[in-house]
Amino acid sequence: MKPDQPKIVCQDVSKTFTQRFGKVTIPVLESIDLAVEENEFLVIVGPGQCGKTTLLRIMAGLETPSTGRVSLDGAPVTGPGPDRGLVFQKYMLFPWRTVVGNVEMGPKLRGVPKAERREIAGHYIKLVGLEGFEKAYPHQLSGGMKQRVGIARAYANNPKVMLLDEPFGQLDAQTRYLMEQETVRIWEAEKRTVIFVTNNIDEAIYLGDRIITMEGKLPGRLKSTYQVTLPRPREHMDVEFLELRHQITEETELLL
Amino acid sequence: MSSQAEATLGLNPRVYQSGLGARLWSFFHNRYVLYGLSVIGFLAIWHWAALHSSIAKFLPTPAEVWTEMVRLSGDRLAGKTLWGHLWASLRRVLIGFAIGLAVGVPLGLFMALNKYVNAVVKPVFDLIKPMPPISWISLSILWFGIGEESKVFIIVVGAFVPALINSYNGIRLVDPALYDAIRMLGGNRRQELLQVTFPAGFPALFAGFQIALSVAWGCVLAAELVGARSGMGYIIILGMKVFNPAMIIGGMVVIALVAGMLSLLLNKVEKVICPWKRELPQ
Repeated sequence: MKPDQPKIVCQDVSKTFTQRFGKVTIPVLESIDLAVEENEFLVIVGPGQCGKTTLLRIMAGLETPSTGRVSLDGAPVTGPGPDRGLVFQKYMLFPWRTVVGNVEMGPKLRGVPKAERREIAGHYIKLVGLEGFEKAYPHQLSGGMKQRVGIARAYANNPKVMLLDEPFGQLDAQTRYLMEQETVRIWEAEKRTVIFVTNNIDEAIYLGDRIITMEGKLPGRLKSTYQVTLPRPREHMDVEFLELRHQITEETELLL
Repeated sequence: MSSQAEATLGLNPRVYQSGLGARLWSFFHNRYVLYGLSVIGFLAIWHWAALHSSIAKFLPTPAEVWTEMVRLSGDRLAGKTLWGHLWASLRRVLIGFAIGLAVGVPLGLFMALNKYVNAVVKPVFDLIKPMPPISWISLSILWFGIGEESKVFIIVVGAFVPALINSYNGIRLVDPALYDAIRMLGGNRRQELLQVTFPAGFPALFAGFQIALSVAWGCVLAAELVGARSGMGYIIILGMKVFNPAMIIGGMVVIALVAGMLSLLLNKVEKVICPWKRELPQ
């Protein structure tokens, strides 16, 4: 692996879904080329139904691209695997496991001994600020807390890349703000390559080193790229923040 | 908040702020007091109906039923006291229920996990499913005689249907994204089964057990009504033959109590095994 090689690369990735016995085909993604650097925080922003979740699922290995390929550290991605941590929009915690049981699941599946995986889980539960809730079941937690568990669970596997699929889409505005701040704090504590998908421009500017917008209609294509050089923690009311927000909002075409 | 608004919302019933009124108000709003009133009210209506209604001739009072139950628990009918007959029925239910689950649960599991098994089993199962289990009684007696086997057979037929349906649906309807989650964490096929499929299916499985249990009681009664010298069904049919409605109702009450307790026990077991399941409002 060359030191300056990008962490994760998509080359000419397209995806077409086929429905109903091959009679209807829907092109969802078309010729996506993307390279994400190590420890970069990339945000992909686009309106609903633009294919951004499908792109993330292809990088996760949960969908196979119709054309093109995805590689991680130069090796092709052929299926889901623990070197990529996925955080789901709908949390997808295991309801029959406590917080600690959810967080330690990755190490457990790898056969890490109990004492050691408890230690790993404890570390990440502390990192996401859920100390004291180790024994709670997911249904006893609020949405924000559930997603903290989701983030800790993905982190506990020590993945090379974190993939977040509209992780705060189910939260109310205030909790969402708080979770964005927490995301920055956690990411600064444990740097990872992050690909964060959202439909929220504000969230994108608050979080990203780089923002890529997608076109608002199918098939999804990458549209423009913005480098965000504002220092963290960012202020939503900064002039530069607002200028960038204005710029992205202007060019984002919504399918209304 | 203005006092008028409070009154409208019922937050501050001024009339009962203190004294006897308040104490009566809170007494009659106590859940357990209302439970008691409900039971007493029911018994009172029953008692009245047993004395004055048009079916009074064959409706004993609650007290007469109680006396009859006490008598039956000492006297022997066909060689058994009430408890002996209860045990005869309970034993059939438990054996049939256990066999029904042992057949239905794995079959449902394999049907949900393997589409070929499903394709082979489902047409036959769909044919058997709507048949009332009691309709098997005649065949069962021809095949197995009037002994224990024929009764247990009916219960097995009745219990395995809901057990199979619920294990099949419970596992088939697991959120596929949970499988995505376990795969992303590095789970293999075996770990998917152990960590997602089974635990996700448990609550539906237990719901099926509850249905199977109640069907099992229905089946044992029907089987005993048709031909038996023991069991609660025998007591009930004997009560009809000797014109003793107190015996019939006594039998019904005992069945209700035992079946209810068994169902409650199953609930407790579920809570221990599936502590994550949110409790539904009763």
